[in-house]
Amino acid sequence: MANEMEKLYQARLARYTTAMRNEKPDMVPIRPFVAEFTAKYAGYTCQEVTHDYEKAFDAACKCAAAFDWDAVVGNMVYVWTGLTQAIGLKYYAVPGVDISPDTGFQYREPPPDRAFMRADEYDALIEDPTGFLLNVWLPRVSTDVVPIGAPATLRNNLSFLKGGMAMLNYFFGFGGQNQRLRTECGTVSAIAGILKAPMDILADKLRGYLGLINDLMEQPEKVLAACEALMPHLTWVALSGADPAKEVPITIWMHRGCVPFVSREHFDRIYWPTLKPIIEEIWSKGHQVLFYAEGSWDAHLGAFAELPEKSIIYHVDRGDIFNAHKALGGKFCLSGGIPNAMLAYNSPNEVRACVKKVIEGVARDGGYIMDASAIVQDDARVENMRAMTEAAREYGQY
Amino acid sequence: MAEKTRQRPPGVCIPWEEKRKELPTQITREDLIKAIWEKNDALAYVYIWHCLLSF
Repeated sequence: MANEMEKLYQARLARYTTAMRNEKPDMVPIRPFVAEFTAKYAGYTCQEVTHDYEKAFDAACKCAAAFDWDAVVGNMVYVWTGLTQAIGLKYYAVPGVDISPDTGFQYREPPPDRAFMRADEYDALIEDPTGFLLNVWLPRVSTDVVPIGAPATLRNNLSFLKGGMAMLNYFFGFGGQNQRLRTECGTVSAIAGILKAPMDILADKLRGYLGLINDLMEQPEKVLAACEALMPHLTWVALSGADPAKEVPITIWMHRGCVPFVSREHFDRIYWPTLKPIIEEIWSKGHQVLFYAEGSWDAHLGAFAELPEKSIIYHVDRGDIFNAHKALGGKFCLSGGIPNAMLAYNSPNEVRACVKKVIEGVARDGGYIMDASAIVQDDARVENMRAMTEAAREYGQY
Repeated sequence: MAEKTRQRPPGVCIPWEEKRKELPTQITREDLIKAIWEKNDALAYVYIWHCLLSF
């Protein structure tokens, strides 16, 4: 039995990695990024899988055992709110506390006048990004961490103690979870390591989107310098979490650095020149990057085509996967293309038709991984996920 | 890629050079002390950057 499961795992790993290198495996691999869907399937609430990561691990395994998927993420409900609560992070709406227990966690971006980094603090960030995070940013995003110079408090001390212990506990938990996926389900852990583009993280957690847009107009050179200062740190963190075997990719979660969130000029002058060298550096060390292109990045396919062949896997969310295939298919593996709205609201037959169309349009020569367009939450119907899986197997044979 | 960070390079919160000044001039196996200092220091670095990036 154990031997059979290992054989299944090895077959799936070969299928997945072959496709990611833009080659043709035995069949189209299936790698859905299932998040709160796992709770729905396994009988948990969103609150349970968000606040108790052991339940989230369990739900991921139950799905992996039940569906013929080649690879999944060990826990795609990635924010463990037990950890964020231990640190005192104030920017999440926690299921069961701030929102319904049946709603996935939410990120609450503050208004521009309460951004976690002020417009006149670029020089401090540029001079010492790590020091800025520790001394300025963390006291602002945590209810418990006190600013430098303020009297120490019990809650301040416990934030670091509990936060550090909890983070280690969580990260080490993934080792056992990946092994469980392998031995109990024959399923590959899909990704390892995290990357965000410098300009995206500046918008997400520091200046906020509206603050960044103002800065792009009023002090673009500071924005560029800040992105350059962040580059080596983001590269280091990405590589520190990468797969030592270099089989599965680091993932970049791409947010609001594209047209129309920013102008093409700002993409060309700041976003791309401060991301492209990171990808090239990571590739030079033998790691692929999964471009999880949330939203539509169709305006920038030409820029992505500049990257070295096979260095990325390009995931299509709301972009046109057939155009992406024309622009990038010769160099990179693609994934995604099955709309989440369809998985939530349409019929299984419509899902099957969509899967057939995508496979026929972009997977003929290999280099394609079946997936929903975006992270699958609890609005997806179980019968539609089943239809996507079965249709991928039916139409995805080479 | 040009290193833009002036004070703290990637992976570092408190550089070994700064810590070294607090220790006696003569210590045994400085290479060991330095390596373990840097390993633990990197965990603190991972902590703060993952707060920003992952949580």
